[in-house]
Amino acid sequence: MEDIWCVAAAVFQVWMFVVVFFIMLPAMFGLSLGVTGVYIQILVKILEWATLRIQRGRQEQPGVPVPLPSGIIERAGGSMEEEMEQLRSSRSMEGAEFDLSDAFYFCKKGLESIVDDQVTQRFSSEELASWNLLTRTNQNFRYISLRLTVIWGLGVFVRYCVLFPLRIALAIIGLSWLVVGTTLVGFLPESSGKNWLSELVHLTCYRICARGLSATVHYHNKENKPQKGGICVANHTTPIDVVILANDGCYAMVGQIHGGLMGVIQRSMVRSCPHVWFERSEMKDRHAVTSRLRAHVAAKTKLPILIFPEGTCINNTSVMMFKKGSFEIGGIIYPVAIKYDPRFGDAFWNSGKYNMVSYLLRMMTSWAIVVNVWYLPPMTIQDGEDAAQFANRVKSAIARRGGLLDLAWDGGLKRGKVKDSFKEEQQKMYSSIIAGQNNISCPKTSSESPEEQ
Amino acid sequence: MGASQTRSAHKYQDLMDKTGFSLEQIKNLHKRFQQLSGNEETISRENLDSIPALANNPIRKQIIEAFFDKRNQHQNEVGSLDEIGFEQFLMVMSHFRPPNLKTTEEEREAMRKEKLRFLFNMHDTDNDGTITLEEYRKVVEELLSKSGAIGQEAAKAIADAAMLEVASTNVPHMAPDDFYEGITFEHFEQILKGLEMESRMHIRFLDVDTTTMRCGRSTS
Repeated sequence: MEDIWCVAAAVFQVWMFVVVFFIMLPAMFGLSLGVTGVYIQILVKILEWATLRIQRGRQEQPGVPVPLPSGIIERAGGSMEEEMEQLRSSRSMEGAEFDLSDAFYFCKKGLESIVDDQVTQRFSSEELASWNLLTRTNQNFRYISLRLTVIWGLGVFVRYCVLFPLRIALAIIGLSWLVVGTTLVGFLPESSGKNWLSELVHLTCYRICARGLSATVHYHNKENKPQKGGICVANHTTPIDVVILANDGCYAMVGQIHGGLMGVIQRSMVRSCPHVWFERSEMKDRHAVTSRLRAHVAAKTKLPILIFPEGTCINNTSVMMFKKGSFEIGGIIYPVAIKYDPRFGDAFWNSGKYNMVSYLLRMMTSWAIVVNVWYLPPMTIQDGEDAAQFANRVKSAIARRGGLLDLAWDGGLKRGKVKDSFKEEQQKMYSSIIAGQNNISCPKTSSESPEEQ
Repeated sequence: MGASQTRSAHKYQDLMDKTGFSLEQIKNLHKRFQQLSGNEETISRENLDSIPALANNPIRKQIIEAFFDKRNQHQNEVGSLDEIGFEQFLMVMSHFRPPNLKTTEEEREAMRKEKLRFLFNMHDTDNDGTITLEEYRKVVEELLSKSGAIGQEAAKAIADAAMLEVASTNVPHMAPDDFYEGITFEHFEQILKGLEMESRMHIRFLDVDTTTMRCGRSTS
């Protein structure tokens, strides 16, 4: 019995030695031993081989469904007026004012929306065109060959028994280092030395956490990195976005104070450098929030604020409406586009389906997290532009850079319903078509085209 | 990994026969059903109500109601359901399935009649087999804006005028005191006889046969 304990203790010591000296210390100093790079290359080769096997398997078993990229139905592109003209012309009715067949148009449009719409699909994970050997993405793929199954089994073993304990250990070390380090730095008096030390502590902690997820981040255009006194906005996919961005620079975080472990981390972080944490009651008061953020930005020596204007996690295929509140603060906006590579793991946090702990466990048992981060040139609000238009401009720039779809819908639709004003707009459009055709009780003269409201 | 091709084909075989969809289309619609219902077995009105793109539609209440209307289930029952399962969902969608090359002339006629029936049921909310003036007015009001270019009085006038025209076409020798009960289904068919529906009033599914496989996701 005791021999087993001795052996176990020795193994544990060796393992901790490896973890500390080969992973943690290089991470702290921003060096890399290149192991992760090699790992990613091997993974890519294996996944390509797997894809070819699956493709060959599919040709032998025809009829296997393929997920379609742009939805399952085709839509007519015409405007409301064009389509109604087509419907009516087939009836050859002269001067038809209102027709039963008009209802058909709306009926068809409604059914098309029920079958496929742009928004509902953004709140579930993206479907892959080929399987990446993770059980959780295996929706459409069947048994293809023995070799593939063996590789998959090996993958499970590697991910759960080798990588997972390593990652948990790193995560625990990283977080405790953050709490301890920031508390220690918090005891120092205000000085530039304190700022430098606090930056060091934050950076090292986030680097260790990033190693804890096997995250490989490619930063592009580093010359556009956010400067002090600015606001950094990015698209939001997962809470890990924070770790990804903070690996390359220090930001002041904005958010609500939580209880529990998160609260402890938040309170210790704020001791060493000024983050902006709000009480739950304060979040409702928009003016209080805006004025606090404004005060932070105005002090040019403070770290740039990090804000995610979408307000919720989207599945990284599109960028949804940016809430204009962040753009009313003033100051320079530094947009950042973040794109995850879905081959190595699905980073999207579906908060309805998974809670934080199970989400982190899923992250730690994926292959890796490979991210591309693009820093875009800074933008400021221009004359004659209001906050909403500025927000849209920034959103389009981010969507274009990251290769994401630019949607005007609100991310809040994940939980809430659409306002009735959208329905009224369609009603207005239709009634102006009818009114335009027979000059019913409206001051404008008959016109050919419906007026845009 | 493991479900064989034949097992799923068998499961959907009678659905294919009943609704006329292909296996591919049924599978895609099933995925959509799961998405809408949140992986439950049935969909309720709230699930359909929460589709953002549908919120734009002026007659969305009627469209949603049509899904829960028993008359659209090809079973000669009346009334409405509170929740529908996948089979009932498919039955309603089958009213708008695309015709394929093998559809005969009679089948096309039958599909046309189905679509007209669907629209008729949408207007005839009290299930009595006729669209009365009240019901017709309601549809017109929903389609037109309450606060837009046309006021409520004008909407009523439009509905009345259209109804009068229908009455005069179908009952040409009506005395001024006669009361026109409403549009029956035969009248409805008569009115919309010339309407060309085959090429436009159906949902076009994208072609599933193209396989573009690369390691990773397809670019959209």
